[in-house]
Amino acid sequence: MLDGIMTGLTTAVMPFNVMMVVVGCFAGTFIGMLPGLGPISAVALMIPITYGLDPASGIILMAGVYYGAVFGGSTSSILINAPGCASTVASAFDGYPLAQQKQAGKALALAAYSSFTGGTIGALILLFAAPALASVSLSFQSGDYFALMVLGLTAVAAFSGRGQVLKALIMTVFGLMIATVGTDITSGAPRYTFGSIDLIDGISFLLLAMATFALTEVVMTVLKGQHREPEPEMDMKSLGSMKLSREEVKEVAPTIARSSVFGFIVGVLPGAGATIASFLAYGFERNLASAKERLKFGKGALRGLAAPESANNAASTGSFVPLLTLGIPGSGTTAIMLGALIAYGIQPGPRLFVDNPDVFWSVIISMYFGNLVLLILNLPLIPYISRLLVIPRPILIPLILFFSITGVYLVSFNTFDIQMMVFITVAAIFLKLLEFPMAPMLLGFILGGIMEKNLSRALTLSDGSLAFLWERPLTLTIMVLAITMLLLPLFGQLRRRLFAGRGPEVASSEGEG
Amino acid sequence: MTFTKDHIGGLVFLCLSAAYGYYAGQIPLLPGDEYAPFHARSLPNALAFMGGALSIALLVSGRRDRAHRLQLGGYDFFLVGALLALVALFGIALTWLGFLVSTVLFLIGGYWLLGERRIRVLLLASVPFGVGIWFVLSQLLDIYLAPGRLFSYLFGG
Repeated sequence: MLDGIMTGLTTAVMPFNVMMVVVGCFAGTFIGMLPGLGPISAVALMIPITYGLDPASGIILMAGVYYGAVFGGSTSSILINAPGCASTVASAFDGYPLAQQKQAGKALALAAYSSFTGGTIGALILLFAAPALASVSLSFQSGDYFALMVLGLTAVAAFSGRGQVLKALIMTVFGLMIATVGTDITSGAPRYTFGSIDLIDGISFLLLAMATFALTEVVMTVLKGQHREPEPEMDMKSLGSMKLSREEVKEVAPTIARSSVFGFIVGVLPGAGATIASFLAYGFERNLASAKERLKFGKGALRGLAAPESANNAASTGSFVPLLTLGIPGSGTTAIMLGALIAYGIQPGPRLFVDNPDVFWSVIISMYFGNLVLLILNLPLIPYISRLLVIPRPILIPLILFFSITGVYLVSFNTFDIQMMVFITVAAIFLKLLEFPMAPMLLGFILGGIMEKNLSRALTLSDGSLAFLWERPLTLTIMVLAITMLLLPLFGQLRRRLFAGRGPEVASSEGEG
Repeated sequence: MTFTKDHIGGLVFLCLSAAYGYYAGQIPLLPGDEYAPFHARSLPNALAFMGGALSIALLVSGRRDRAHRLQLGGYDFFLVGALLALVALFGIALTWLGFLVSTVLFLIGGYWLLGERRIRVLLLASVPFGVGIWFVLSQLLDIYLAPGRLFSYLFGG
């Protein structure tokens, strides 16, 4: 393990990779600040750039962007009450009231310190948890892998929110359907190509990710007329002091420690992600507070800001555990990173830390660097970075559209991909209007190929018998977990719909991130 | 009965699954594949069945209250349609006009569609940007950007 850490450290401290962390954090902070664009869109926009880099540098850049985007989302939550992404919605509950009380500087500093501590604690746990889990999972066979993929897909659907489980499952199946387009890997037969040469290689992951997240998210802001909203007015002179008093540090320290560990654990669960972690941590902290302190929540309580901020960063780190060790993404953003790793020819999973220790360890180490960069560089520069928020939307939107399209075009140099993006965007807008979540579709698409390969291998080995699903205790356990995870919310949803009141339910796809 | 977003979604996916299942039957198989435990049609068949079953479940259990009806009022579909048409045109223009000209025209078109009418802003926010990106890609990163077919026809090369 020590060798691995040293390899990772050597890779991560290479000047180019340090630069990638810094660039990633800055780019992520800026994109994350823009309302409507969250970590998924930010990471998706970076994929074309990473294609020209070596795998370690590419994934380091994406990790930096991920962190930066979560931090950027917090900044716009606090300053203008417009969360850049779902995982920072809870930060606005107490962050924005603090900004209104002319304590925006303190709120931003607290958010940065909490994020730093959350990310650091997360990175430290990851340092020990990931290799331990990876070494256990080295004994996995194709049947176990198939079961793991099923678990990953059902978990994402299960955590998709009340009223959304069936829709998330449908989108997962839809993603798996899209993954079958192209040449069949085992027989070489063309599937769903309709005679088009452009579809022989299937639909590229980059195209699908850019169209469903970057392009669709931007177009949705136009559809809702958000581009006409006036640019936010920010009085940077009234930021106030960025210092916290000793009493305030004492008040929030236990909160940050609790929420970090809590956030990490929630982040590790496949599909849960930073959004759920931040809301749960906020609720948990409010319940822990005394009746008097509870009254302050929602009106600018420091603990109310520290809890979701530490939790969402720790959860972002935690979501790397299933990605790096099992090859199952813990969130929509890590699903995109999984796709990027696969595009590099690297198969994330138990073999990653044996076959590509430089990638495995440098990602973990650079996460810590990312936290440092956010604290040391981004925090003092926030007043300046925030000025980018006032770029008029009519100028900003075509530029983001341009980067999304050319990002795909410059990889394939095929203009058919641009027309395909338009087609997918139209479909994605329609699905979004019907409240179908996009992240499960992308996850289904990414895992589809590997899932089919493992299922084919397992079925061939067992001569067509499905007994491989329950013969080994490990496979059986994973399958039971998957089925339980799937059935619990499904039964709950069906019961509520069919027997209980048929009143409106809160359906949200905001959990994507 | 109120037809809500859930029902529309369920119906759309039911049709999609049916079409997907139909075309799964058109996937060519190698001789003897039908006796193999797993072949090119296996997963598509399973997915078509799962998609159909889940769509029916959504149709049956879908929310029935008026609050979940599809409301299309207040959305600017015309502008989004125009923007997406611009993106599609950009794809065509890349082949005929080349990267630089297409980029500048796309950006000017985008700014204009979103309400920017000042010619100075339209030009300043597109021409330097387009030239800059073209310079970085073709000169610094040495990426080959084919000149537009139109220019090749007109000036040869």
